[in-house]
Amino acid sequence: MERARCDPPAFERLYRKYVAQVYNFALYELRDRHAAEDVTAQVFLRALAGLPRFREQAEPPESSFRTWLFQIARNTISNEHRRARRHPASPLDLAFDHPAPTDVQLAALVRAEVARAWEAIERLPADRRRALVLRFVNEMSTREIGQVLGRSEGATRVLIHRSLQAVARELGRADRVRPRLPRRRAN
Amino acid sequence: MQIETDDPAIQSDAYIDALLDGHARLPIGLPLMAPPAGVRRVVRLLEQGLPRFHPSFLFEEQLAAQLRAAAAQSAGTGSDVLPVIDRRLLVGGAFASGVSIAGAFLAWRRRHV
Repeated sequence: MERARCDPPAFERLYRKYVAQVYNFALYELRDRHAAEDVTAQVFLRALAGLPRFREQAEPPESSFRTWLFQIARNTISNEHRRARRHPASPLDLAFDHPAPTDVQLAALVRAEVARAWEAIERLPADRRRALVLRFVNEMSTREIGQVLGRSEGATRVLIHRSLQAVARELGRADRVRPRLPRRRAN
Repeated sequence: MQIETDDPAIQSDAYIDALLDGHARLPIGLPLMAPPAGVRRVVRLLEQGLPRFHPSFLFEEQLAAQLRAAAAQSAGTGSDVLPVIDRRLLVGGAFASGVSIAGAFLAWRRRHV
């Protein structure tokens, strides 16, 4: 990290490592590929500008850089939300534009169930939704998510658990109306 | 790590960690005290079903070039002020170069027809 402050190639390595993660976070929030690209660009330019002021915390350096980067991303996304409210597509719609050809029927059932879970997540408050995206898409630890969202580790853990419970309740209600995904037979 | 606790939030957290360890090809050690079935189902769905995206190669390379230019510029001036990226400029630039190529082609045709 120290090298990245004065060594552009070192910063580029960090950029290559995290660009997809920041892009994912932005895309899940903004649901628009172009808006997500704009935010990703702003985040890395701001990070580059702010690098001399970045202070390492008593953590693995890569981890604290990642949380710092995602704090910038969170602020940039909030500004973008204020600037333009546009949600043309769900992230799942974007992903399922090109479904895999294998096991089409099962894939469709799984997709339907994930889509129902995502519908429930969309109804959650922003911080809960962000916490789930950071946990499952970015695979961050609870501690890292807490740092990004400005909460304690314990509060973040409870936030995620309650979000999962809320989604589980929604799926349970939906099960009473629609049949559940059948168990797959072992070959 | 095996965790034995009555705290449901810690149970969920340990369960998620165990599944995500599987992504990193680490051995999966599911916690002794698992969260309720409904929560486990949601965790499995989100862990397996939420898609990951990658930005386009073109975007990634363009931004890398812009970061290199910004780093060189701030190293030269000693300033933290960065150039503002505007997608319209990128698109406009591509459009302008397309127009200029078309214009050059038409001029060449006029000279040679």
